[in-house]
Amino acid sequence: MPENGKFFKPLDPLLHSELRLAVMSILLDAGSADFVYLKAETGATSGNLSVQLDKLQQAGYIEVTKGFKGKMPQTVCSITDKGRDAFASYVEALRSYISPDNR
Amino acid sequence: MENNFSAENSLRLITETIERSRRTMAKNSGKPMILWGVLVAVTSVIIYFLWSKTDNPIWNLLWFAMSAIGGVGTYMIGRNREKTPATEISRILGKIWMWFGFFATGFYVILWIVAAIRYTAGMDGILRVDMTMLILMMMGLCGAISGSVMNQKAVSISSVLATALSVIFLLLIPDGSPLQILTFLILGVFALIIPGLILQNKAKA
Repeated sequence: MPENGKFFKPLDPLLHSELRLAVMSILLDAGSADFVYLKAETGATSGNLSVQLDKLQQAGYIEVTKGFKGKMPQTVCSITDKGRDAFASYVEALRSYISPDNR
Repeated sequence: MENNFSAENSLRLITETIERSRRTMAKNSGKPMILWGVLVAVTSVIIYFLWSKTDNPIWNLLWFAMSAIGGVGTYMIGRNREKTPATEISRILGKIWMWFGFFATGFYVILWIVAAIRYTAGMDGILRVDMTMLILMMMGLCGAISGSVMNQKAVSISSVLATALSVIFLLLIPDGSPLQILTFLILGVFALIIPGLILQNKAKA
């Protein structure tokens, strides 16, 4: 997209959202994390987090596994290779907006 | 609001989220080190006392009992942190110390087997292997690497200092003396307890 004679890489709209980006950042570092941890770290409500996780799952960026830990239900989210690639592309695109030479 | 944040804000959000998450995950990361440090220090004092009293190094077998207690303790600490995911760093640290345990235990087992074979075969001479020195060096190396992986200079420096002090102490005492086991007291305090306390304090900060 030309702007002032320079080109900016398009930003993945799925990642360009505060909550989804925060979730992906955590999963990128940890590999996987359970719902309770993600909720505590992002400060999101359960409903909103569920909706955003669903969007990331539908895009194939994360995998969601529902199970039990003892008698307690547990939802574990893991980042996929597609999610890692998408995140890397997103950061690369962000840099094109910041870098003076618009890589 | 959702899509209205700038590229700078996005990058800041990524950095801050990862840092905050890492701080959460770092909580209690010093606890296993403190546990192992106390176990190593206490076990070395007990072995020294029993070895001196009985003039028999067989009490070194207590290290196996200590490993079992430490394993259970580490599991209990891990269970209490079950909602906190592991990071790539914690996985690397786990592997470093797993291999230390494998080499240290394997070394002891091989030495006992070789000693038994030599005894059975009636071979002359004494099996001269400085196990204490080897374990000290391996432990110091693993501690220094762990500090580098965690980007905690204090942990690496403490490990190097502990190894140097232990080796100097070991070289100054008479050969075969039960005093050699007290080198692990130095190592336990300087290479495990102090770095563990440093990590705990940093996590709380």
